Amino acid sequence: MSREDAPKSFNRRGFLEWIIAACSAITAAAMVVPGLLYLWPAAKGGKAEDVEVKGGENLKPGEHSTVQVRGKAVIVRRDPGGLAAYSAVCTHLGCLVKWDAGKEQFLCPCHAAVFNARGQVVSGPAPAPLPEYKVKDVGGKVYVST
Amino acid sequence: MSLKNGITNFLDSRYDMETAGGFLKKQLGKRLPPHTGWLHVFGSLSLFLFISQTITGILLLMYYRPTPDEAHKSIQFITAEVHFGWLYRQVHAWGASLMILMVVLHMIRTYFCGAYKKPRELTWVTGVFIFIVTITFGFTGYLLPWNQISFWATTVGTESANKVPYIGGWLRYFIRGGDVVTGETLSRFFVVHVIILPWLLTGLLVVHLFLMRATNLATLEPVDEEKPLEPKYGIPFFPVHVCKESVVVMLMIAVLVTLAVVSPWEIGEPANPLLTPEHIKPEWYFLPSYQLLKYFEGPYGAFMGIIACSVPFALLLFWPFLDRSKYRHPRQRPVAVSVGLIGLVGALILGTLGHFSETNQTFFGQRYHIDHYGRPHRLEGGVQSETVPGADSAHAPSGDAKPSH
Ligand code: HEM
Ligand code: FES
Repeated sequence: MSREDAPKSFNRRGFLEWIIAACSAITAAAMVVPGLLYLWPAAKGGKAEDVEVKGGENLKPGEHSTVQVRGKAVIVRRDPGGLAAYSAVCTHLGCLVKWDAGKEQFLCPCHAAVFNARGQVVSGPAPAPLPEYKVKDVGGKVYVST
Repeated sequence: MSLKNGITNFLDSRYDMETAGGFLKKQLGKRLPPHTGWLHVFGSLSLFLFISQTITGILLLMYYRPTPDEAHKSIQFITAEVHFGWLYRQVHAWGASLMILMVVLHMIRTYFCGAYKKPRELTWVTGVFIFIVTITFGFTGYLLPWNQISFWATTVGTESANKVPYIGGWLRYFIRGGDVVTGETLSRFFVVHVIILPWLLTGLLVVHLFLMRATNLATLEPVDEEKPLEPKYGIPFFPVHVCKESVVVMLMIAVLVTLAVVSPWEIGEPANPLLTPEHIKPEWYFLPSYQLLKYFEGPYGAFMGIIACSVPFALLLFWPFLDRSKYRHPRQRPVAVSVGLIGLVGALILGTLGHFSETNQTFFGQRYHIDHYGRPHRLEGGVQSETVPGADSAHAPSGDAKPSH
């Protein structure tokens, strides 16, 4: 009788093969998981805090400036009533809106979304208002909170 | 002993050269169905363009630098300083568009000839994956020059991922390597473009070509009634079909070089993450989806838009299993032929609307502003006016709108 036909050794072999297959599967899974996590973008920039707006002290009433706050574009403007800051990222497909001081509106160059001075949608395809940022003036310097 | 004999003896005494030689002979002498002609060269042209993209891509890689500071400068350097750098960049950029065009023409040919039917369903399915990979090549390569148009087209393109329900935000974060398009995005796209996709496509092509050879090309006879090819009726792959292929490849090289010289791709302004330029449009092969997405607005609009753009791909993928008729000749397949024509014409109309949307055009001496949705609005007296009559002021272009090309 050859080894393959022997029921007893077949069982032992079968069991061993099963163990090896299971261990190989676990090993493969254990290698794939860290690889997938590696691909997940590592967060940059740390905790939320106030970020100083470069050149903010030169912002005169009626003027505005597009700045990057932690990688995101923000429009900071000095209205007669004080400072205001809105995300410049159009909520439609992510183009940057421009502040039209004459019309007091944000205009998106991509698909013509229009937002009013408080970031609310006036017309066009944008599904949501522009998020507002907290902004403050400390001794002439302008800070935006993220 | 001559050198040739020496090499033959060396190989013969080590390998089974008879089997290898027999295999080669059989492959070269393979008989193709009698209707195999000039319409059957688009597959070979796609393959040729992939090889051309690989070679020109590797050459570009010698000088290209995938970082936000250097990418744009390195491409300027390639075009201005490197010997024949302009040629390889242009052939790569034009080759990309032509490769997609050839893959599309190849799909159209096999679709209308019913070549996807049993037993070749899986050849078609691998082909659909090849199509998707080819488009992804175009999308990822487009960002690499890091100019204004490519940066913002990528911003808008990756933003669409955000519209996928539930996981959209994560998907966009993952594709961009962060919240917005940055150097992290450039790195990701670069690795996908020059390592992952080339190997993925190579693997898919091996399977696709193996399946094509294993089942031979389809005849126009109905499913299960294909007669085995009698040698004297079939067309020999070599030399007859290979000669046709050589002719079209030479023509393709001529087209590539001509386009490179007479209509070069611009390098454009370097990317500026703080300024979105006017009139960003995707490449022509994305225009149909780009335009289709615009018609889906409102709370569920974006989600419905994503579905509307995915349905054609799902249909393509499963088509061999949905179309149960056994006929291959287009005249015997009214339904499949109509579906195909409707799809093609629809894509052409959407693409044309997308191309002309948000520009000013003159038709029969009258100036029109073509809005976001592709609707024309008359402009008074041909003079640029601030507000467009008939459209809400939001659609008025600021400045003179030029077509994107
Ligand atoms: C297979 C190997 C490939 C390699 C190694 C490669 C490599 C590169 C490199 C280094 C660039 C940056 C240089 C430049 O932008 O001119 C680039 C750009 C590009 N690639 Fe590829 N590529 C390959 C295949 C493809 C394929 C198959 C397609 C499309 C079907 C494609 C489409 C593009 C496009 C559209 C650009 C932008 C061209 C431009 O504006 O200059 N590439 N590729
Ligand atoms: S991205 Fe602003 S309107 Fe589309």
